Amino acid sequence: MNNNKKSMWSLKLSTAAIVLIPAAIGINYIGKLFASLLRLPLWLDSIGTVLAAMLAGPVIGAAAGIINNIIYGITVSPVSTVYAITSGAIGITVGVMAYKGWIANVKKATIVGLVTGLVAAIVSTPLNMIFWGGQTGNIWGDAFYTFLISNDVPQWLASFGDSIVVDVPDKVVTVLISYFIFKGLPKSLTNIYRQDSEIEEL
Amino acid sequence: MSIIEVENLKYRYPDLTDLVLDDLSFSVEKGECLGIVGENTAGKSTLCYALAGLIPHFYKGAYGGKVTVNGLVVREHEIAEIVENIGLVFENPFSQMTGAKKTVYEEVAFGLENLGLDRKEMHRRIEQYLKLLDVFGLKDKNPFDLSGGQMQRVAIASVLAMEPDVLILDEPTSQLDPQGSREVFEVIEQLTEKGMTIILVEHKMEQIAQYADRVLLLHQGRQVALDTPEKIFSRPDLKGFGVTPPVVTNISKALNVRYPDSELFPVTIEAFKRLEEAK
Amino acid sequence: MNTMTLYVEKDSPVHRLDPLVKLLYVFASIALTYILPEPLFIAGVLFVTLLLLVIGKVFRNSLPILTLSMFLIFSLVIVQGFFHPDNVTELFSIGPLVFYEEGLYVALVLVLRVLVMIGSFSVLILTTSPDEMVERLIKKGMSPRIGHVILSVLQLIPQMRATTSKITDAQRSRGMETEGSMLTRIKAFFPLMGPVVLNSLNETKERSIALEMRGFGSSTKKTFLNEEKQYPYNKLLAGIIIAIVILGIVWRVMV
Repeated sequence: MNNNKKSMWSLKLSTAAIVLIPAAIGINYIGKLFASLLRLPLWLDSIGTVLAAMLAGPVIGAAAGIINNIIYGITVSPVSTVYAITSGAIGITVGVMAYKGWIANVKKATIVGLVTGLVAAIVSTPLNMIFWGGQTGNIWGDAFYTFLISNDVPQWLASFGDSIVVDVPDKVVTVLISYFIFKGLPKSLTNIYRQDSEIEEL
Repeated sequence: MSIIEVENLKYRYPDLTDLVLDDLSFSVEKGECLGIVGENTAGKSTLCYALAGLIPHFYKGAYGGKVTVNGLVVREHEIAEIVENIGLVFENPFSQMTGAKKTVYEEVAFGLENLGLDRKEMHRRIEQYLKLLDVFGLKDKNPFDLSGGQMQRVAIASVLAMEPDVLILDEPTSQLDPQGSREVFEVIEQLTEKGMTIILVEHKMEQIAQYADRVLLLHQGRQVALDTPEKIFSRPDLKGFGVTPPVVTNISKALNVRYPDSELFPVTIEAFKRLEEAK
Repeated sequence: MNTMTLYVEKDSPVHRLDPLVKLLYVFASIALTYILPEPLFIAGVLFVTLLLLVIGKVFRNSLPILTLSMFLIFSLVIVQGFFHPDNVTELFSIGPLVFYEEGLYVALVLVLRVLVMIGSFSVLILTTSPDEMVERLIKKGMSPRIGHVILSVLQLIPQMRATTSKITDAQRSRGMETEGSMLTRIKAFFPLMGPVVLNSLNETKERSIALEMRGFGSSTKKTFLNEEKQYPYNKLLAGIIIAIVILGIVWRVMV
């Protein structure tokens, strides 16, 4: 068990795991594109990060998340760079839970989604407080924020509420979609990312 | 000592139950071109990976036996040490581009930078191999703007620039159009003439017949035969291994054009003509 | 081949600056808006930033980037102006809703800060090619493998976008519905996304193999084909930026 723990957090990354990062970021981008093409009321822009975490663990998941937002920041919208920390946290959460066997079935995967959404909200709240006075710039989230504030809820709690509304539904759906895709992948594609495998003697 | 020595090589991919390579033993001499044929599940690509050290370093799984390239036992050396001895080019030219370089020139430089070569040596090799592959004129283009055939030649140049002693070509033309295929085979012809040791996996048996000195016939991971193209393609049981001989061999069988005093049929048009004339 | 980048290739003094100095400017300018959170002061930082955009000949190019954050800016003014907890002094009212001075002040600081953030980022990304940036960071000690990841994403995404439109067309021609009820549209997500994921993972596998065969995993110290660019006044400019930040902190503590 100790050995396993070591390999989950190993920073000695294989080439396959490294090359998975750009693919994950591409998948994030395409997910977002399809979501808007189909006019779905969610972002679905972290499917790649979640898949990378499921395939290669928390370190690659976190790296995919962080680099994703930096890239998005330098190519589209600088504001999103702020959320690199949130994306990193999403990668870590899914990576750890997947490693601990939490993506065994739909029920468990839903819980992973809930936890991920919650973690995202917890990490985003201080960022939103620091940068935008507690808001998120998302119409539903900010409406909820306004509602809470005008009912004398403390600002940080309202801000947390804002993030919950924005993050939890999106992350639950994202993790479920990723789970279904992950389950459908052939083993010949998934086993090259595992950091823990050893050569067996014949 | 042979440049490649394979002794009792066995391999199974992780999570699978069947052996993909089952007790292979053969050797390849310097300057030789070895063709590998067999149906899709025969283990041809897997064998290429094992020769290049990707097995067992990249693909883990279960491994047995020994592969030696240029005196290096591949299992005991990192892939990065093996690449200066053996290079691999495979079918999809697109995924062989690193994706991080914006010109063909820099693309070839990628591997040389990783080897830690000095600038002068890099420029020398890049120019030499771009010219050898006849893509020097494209040096300032983005690799992804090239045609399939051009991209594949850049891929070959990039691998050759690492100056390996052996080049493995795993179905290098199967994703190319006829023009692209022709371009690549012209290069292969040139390399064989220069005495490069080549391992060629190919579906087009005409090409195997033309370039290979010997052919390794694989079936379900096992070594069925290792012999001259004439002997392999004249086998009456070839169909059973999912291999169709070159058209000219089939015609020769039908017309009963064969080498004198033997059961062997010609495998190239040139040989066929010669035998016809001799008749 | 279009690489995904906002970089505008021009010749200007800002373009010739060391990418690291520009990066330092991004951090310093944002930090300053927190060190001295006065509208007038932040407006000063914003002015310098805009000046850099003008000198860099990229002011026009920065406007589309700003548009993306318009909703955030708008939302900040509305929500803070009407609902900030410290609101006391009425400015005007629309029906039962009252807009307050305190909220406006808070919003002003927030909006100016967002503008500085977008502006200074724009200075960096519009005048610096990603290759130059990454190469510079690698020479300063960033892992070349991470550098490779960043550069390859920039080329990969436009290609994936091309694949995507192919897949969309193919699935539509097979009668997949991309219109209709929410459930229909959610169902349509899978046949679109599945092939993209499969495709890119397959390519990942192949590209890893190709990279391995090009010595990507080598532990030898990497060399570079391109010679290192020389940046004049590099240290001086970095020194000035750091000095200004320190001055700001001193000012904050003293006054």
